[in-house]
Amino acid sequence: MTSQEVDPITLDIIENALKSARFEMDEVVRRISLSPVIREQHDEFPMICNERGQMVVGQFGSYIPEVLQKFDHQVNDGDVFIWNDPYASKGSISHVNDWCVMMPIYHEETLVGFSSIFGHMIDVGGKVPGSMPADSRTIWEEGLRVPPVKIFDKGVLNEGVLDIMLNNSRTPDTNRSDMMALIAGTRAAATRVGEICDRFGRDVYMQACDLLLARTRQAMQVLIHKYIPEEPVSFTDYVDDDGRGNGPFKMTLSIYRRGDIAVFDWTGTDDQAEGPINFHIHEGLCKLFFGVYMIMAFDPDILFNEGFYDLFEIVLPEGSLLNPRFPAALGNRLNTHTRFFDCQAGALGQQAPHLSMAAGYGTSPHFIFTGHDKNDKYFQLVELLFGGVPGRPRGDGFDGASWWPLFSATPIEYIENYYPVMIDSYRPIRDTGGPGLHRGGCGIEKIYRVLAAGEISIHDDRETIPPWGINGGMYGGTSEKYILRVGQDEPERIPSKFDNLKVQPGDKIIYRTAGSGGWGDPYERPAAEVARDARHDLVSREMAEERYGVVLDDTSQVDESATEAAREKLRKARGPAPKFDFGPLPQGIMAAAD
Amino acid sequence: MAIRLGIDVGGTFTDLLLYDDATERSFRAKTPSTPEDQSIGVIDGIRQISEISGVKPADIDLILHGATVATNAVLEGKGARVGLLTTKGFEYTLHLAKSWTPGPLFGWIIMDKPEPLARLDDTKGIVERIDARGGVDTQLDIAQATEAIKDLCGSGIEALTISLLHSYANPDHERVLKKIVAEHFPDIPVSLSSDILPEFREYDRAITTVMNDYVRPIMHNYLSQFASRLDQENIKARLHIVRSDGGLMSAEAASERPVHTILSGPAGGVTSTAIIARKTGVNKLLAFDMGGTSTDVSVILDGEPTVARSTEVGYFPAKVPTLDIRSVGAGGGSIANVSELTKSLRVGPASAGAKPGPVAYGKGGTQATVSDANVTLGYLPAKLLGGEMTLNVDGARAAVAKIGTAIGLDAEAAAQGILDIANETMLGALRLVTVQRGLDPREFGIVAFGGAGPLHANAMAAVLGCYPVIVPPNPGVLSALGFVQSEFKNEFVQTLIRSGDEFKADELWSHCRRLQKLAGDWLDEESVAPGDQSVRYTIDLRYEQQGFEVTVDLPQKAIDDDDLERVLSSFHDLHDRMYGVRFDVPVELVALRVVAIGAMPALIEKAPAGGADANPDDAIIEHHPTYFRGTWVDTPNYDREKLTQGTTIQGPAIIRQYDTTTLLLPDHRAEVDQFGNLVIWPTDGGKNND
Repeated sequence: MTSQEVDPITLDIIENALKSARFEMDEVVRRISLSPVIREQHDEFPMICNERGQMVVGQFGSYIPEVLQKFDHQVNDGDVFIWNDPYASKGSISHVNDWCVMMPIYHEETLVGFSSIFGHMIDVGGKVPGSMPADSRTIWEEGLRVPPVKIFDKGVLNEGVLDIMLNNSRTPDTNRSDMMALIAGTRAAATRVGEICDRFGRDVYMQACDLLLARTRQAMQVLIHKYIPEEPVSFTDYVDDDGRGNGPFKMTLSIYRRGDIAVFDWTGTDDQAEGPINFHIHEGLCKLFFGVYMIMAFDPDILFNEGFYDLFEIVLPEGSLLNPRFPAALGNRLNTHTRFFDCQAGALGQQAPHLSMAAGYGTSPHFIFTGHDKNDKYFQLVELLFGGVPGRPRGDGFDGASWWPLFSATPIEYIENYYPVMIDSYRPIRDTGGPGLHRGGCGIEKIYRVLAAGEISIHDDRETIPPWGINGGMYGGTSEKYILRVGQDEPERIPSKFDNLKVQPGDKIIYRTAGSGGWGDPYERPAAEVARDARHDLVSREMAEERYGVVLDDTSQVDESATEAAREKLRKARGPAPKFDFGPLPQGIMAAAD
Repeated sequence: MAIRLGIDVGGTFTDLLLYDDATERSFRAKTPSTPEDQSIGVIDGIRQISEISGVKPADIDLILHGATVATNAVLEGKGARVGLLTTKGFEYTLHLAKSWTPGPLFGWIIMDKPEPLARLDDTKGIVERIDARGGVDTQLDIAQATEAIKDLCGSGIEALTISLLHSYANPDHERVLKKIVAEHFPDIPVSLSSDILPEFREYDRAITTVMNDYVRPIMHNYLSQFASRLDQENIKARLHIVRSDGGLMSAEAASERPVHTILSGPAGGVTSTAIIARKTGVNKLLAFDMGGTSTDVSVILDGEPTVARSTEVGYFPAKVPTLDIRSVGAGGGSIANVSELTKSLRVGPASAGAKPGPVAYGKGGTQATVSDANVTLGYLPAKLLGGEMTLNVDGARAAVAKIGTAIGLDAEAAAQGILDIANETMLGALRLVTVQRGLDPREFGIVAFGGAGPLHANAMAAVLGCYPVIVPPNPGVLSALGFVQSEFKNEFVQTLIRSGDEFKADELWSHCRRLQKLAGDWLDEESVAPGDQSVRYTIDLRYEQQGFEVTVDLPQKAIDDDDLERVLSSFHDLHDRMYGVRFDVPVELVALRVVAIGAMPALIEKAPAGGADANPDDAIIEHHPTYFRGTWVDTPNYDREKLTQGTTIQGPAIIRQYDTTTLLLPDHRAEVDQFGNLVIWPTDGGKNND
């Protein structure tokens, strides 16, 4: 077969059809699933692969070859695989809460590809509700680990495996339906792929998949030459702590080009942590993360797939935070995961700060509340919160928004209908958006009032290391948490990572996430926009004056001449705008870009 | 017996259709739209149609109007300044907009988020709190509220939304606030979220209610202006506005609840398609409305349009009952371009619109569009029939050739590619409304309308297998035709979140009876004759804690027989059909809906003259070279007006008429049926599965 057989138009049509199928997977999962984490917050990630297991469309990376290897390539029509063990699947998923399902797609008895989705289960056992202990030291504490197994074998459900999996969860009914939702999603993709094969011919389809991979590779080649210098650039950022009192943890990334190859080297990153912030990442996923950032930042029209993998070389030092040795704990890896992206934006941003983004709220903040309601029924609320989405070349960041794609907030009225909790207020936090020509988004404050006795757990980060600004933009605000006990007047500060704090009816938890860094010179920001932010109570008058050089009167109107003078003075004192602004760091810590 | 007038205001033209029950005759007229004040164009149209038909304006009984003022105001960001009262502590609900950002990873890098429809400056928190069961957690602070209202309402806002937490469970506080506003600011229109959308999910309820107020002053002004113009013309007709779900509402109701007209415009075509389904007996149909910038598709099942619970207007969701119409950014004006890095060909969503328009229209367009591709291949004739316009064929071809050069194809192949890709986008929308809901498109026919629908529908059918393709006699006025045949319709909702022991049949039936009474009263108010009145019940069910409901029909018989089991079993079946899975977990009731319907007599159309022995050759205007499957074929161009009932023509052929052009592909035939429809089948195929 030569590449001449698929004309360019057919190729574009197949690309569109595959994209539609991929979004249909989301839709099916969203409609069926029971847990709000998947449904309302969209913590699920689909993909469609070619027959060799390479992702052609989707939004995470492919790990299928490893799974196939384990089964000695003995796959059949009707098989559905499932697993949740990061170690047994080489980091295809990064904590045991993610259940991954995968099925081969057959067309007239020929293997033409795979579809796969993983989604976050609200509980998979282990020592704490939600299965993400903030202080675990080994993965043994984080719940049941399932290596890749066939949950359906030639179309027949393996009841035994399912029973074992559900028997080890605090929320078996929810997990069962959420798993069925994931499987329904992969089946929807299989049906669509079959239809494309019918319509264009199987050979054309399979070749089109290869061409789509090649097309993305070609485009990436151009981006690499344009944006990655031969001289290494490096960037260092930190995770606050590991939940066991250790930290901060350093992450250092160096990027350079060797011929056509882009090298991403994590040498200099700290050793694996005692606590659960280790991020066991599959090398393919690592490549994909770099690739998708480059595509979104530099040319979003490019189809996001893994065609460019051979152009990237990844160095993940063994025994480090990013390549931990079994059985290191992994449950709370999202801090490290997000810092991975921050380092990437920082390193790539040195070459092209005008095209790069600042740092965001830097994790996926969790709030977990468990107990028994007045009918003595067990409840388990798991909620993801949001924070500041960074300042960008295109405009301001977003206040209290999701850094992660397609997530959205669970409606307050939903939470209050199903859990013994009331929300007293929900708003962006003033002055947590880093100043900039384009302001960073503010963090969010949510005040929970619990109505039943129970226990709460919190996972957050960016409490000590602020989100940095870029291209002249300034750093954003850090996160903080308090508990106001019923009957007390003064709230008491609580850490950003802990489990199972006992609460009584009437206790309030004040949950504040981090903001994000600004982009561009804040002294250039139109004064009217600063005044508007002040009217909206997102920026204080002091902040306006000290960080933007915008002088406001009592009614938040701009004093033009005073503003001009203040800005003149600030510019002189500062000199040229720095590429990065890391803000106040704990003693002994040096963030760096060079 | 009545004289009815349907009015469809489009972006470029206003279409009118007048029907007289007594004489069974219909007349149509077309005038340029007047966007600065749509009623000017409408009145021009009425004068024109009165002249054509000989019907005096004063004799018109009913005016049925598809209104696009609300849609346009939202899409163009030109609505009113709306104030918003929320529960204190939740002032940022619209600003945060559910915290959503788009995919893929890093999708936020290129996201644009518009200002909320009610600005933060115009939002005030009120001290009060209702809990999820409707209990009062914090008493309403009247003094604080009065102060906030005075402050906000005196600041220049044009309308006010009151949207408090859990007001669907207990609307008391919202109502008290409304009273306070009425005392101090009687002229400011107020919408309550517990009236507009008594359903849970605070963002959806707030944005829908705010959208109502955002378009309300505009709708009110438009309708009162229109009423006074009608008055000046001595027109005494009752004015009704078409709702997004295809029903009719009085002008007064539309002034109060304009958010219900947000998809009013496209509803007419869907209603017409449903009527075609009932008349022709092809009772499963796809409505395919392809215009200049976008294409709207929807499904007719068993002769009835499908209704959705929500829609999107630009960036903003609106949770109102609407015909389930999917819109994609592909139309005649969609622009083709080639990505620099990957050399992939993209078509749309950018559109050349009416100005500058496609290159072929010679109004300054320079970028190749879908219409230019149609011109290049000879599908669109150089001279449009009945139109004054001559198309710039060479210009269109040159623009398309330029696209071809960029991807290494000749002009014809590039033109074919542009059409194939635009078709694929539209196929995506058709798949969305069929296969994604467990429906097999091969069991459907497709009705083509809109300016460009008949050019593309045959290609759609060839891929999806949805035959026959039906091109109605006047595809350009299909919307107006639908309006004059719309039913009166209104929906009465009760949110009832009940599961386990709380889910009791008795309670459900008693709410059914209560809402049925409301429905009957409304129909009386709308002067619907008792014989034309009916009600339909549906309930929204889901598995406990699932976030999305499945709407299940609740037959009168189930209520009479106290047979809840039957309803639950149809829920399990429907869930299984839609999503391929059923669960053994408790089923939860979410809402009950009662739809009041007032029937409208169907329009009787006279079959066109002619007989089986008519010779189609008499209708040929000319032969013209046209490009099919890699070669130029000398193809007959027919005059649609001269094709009479029973005539069959073989493809390939181009069929021209006043308001559209139909492309009949090779290996297909077209027959003219008794209603004047062109009915297209594959030459070797024949019967629909129904």
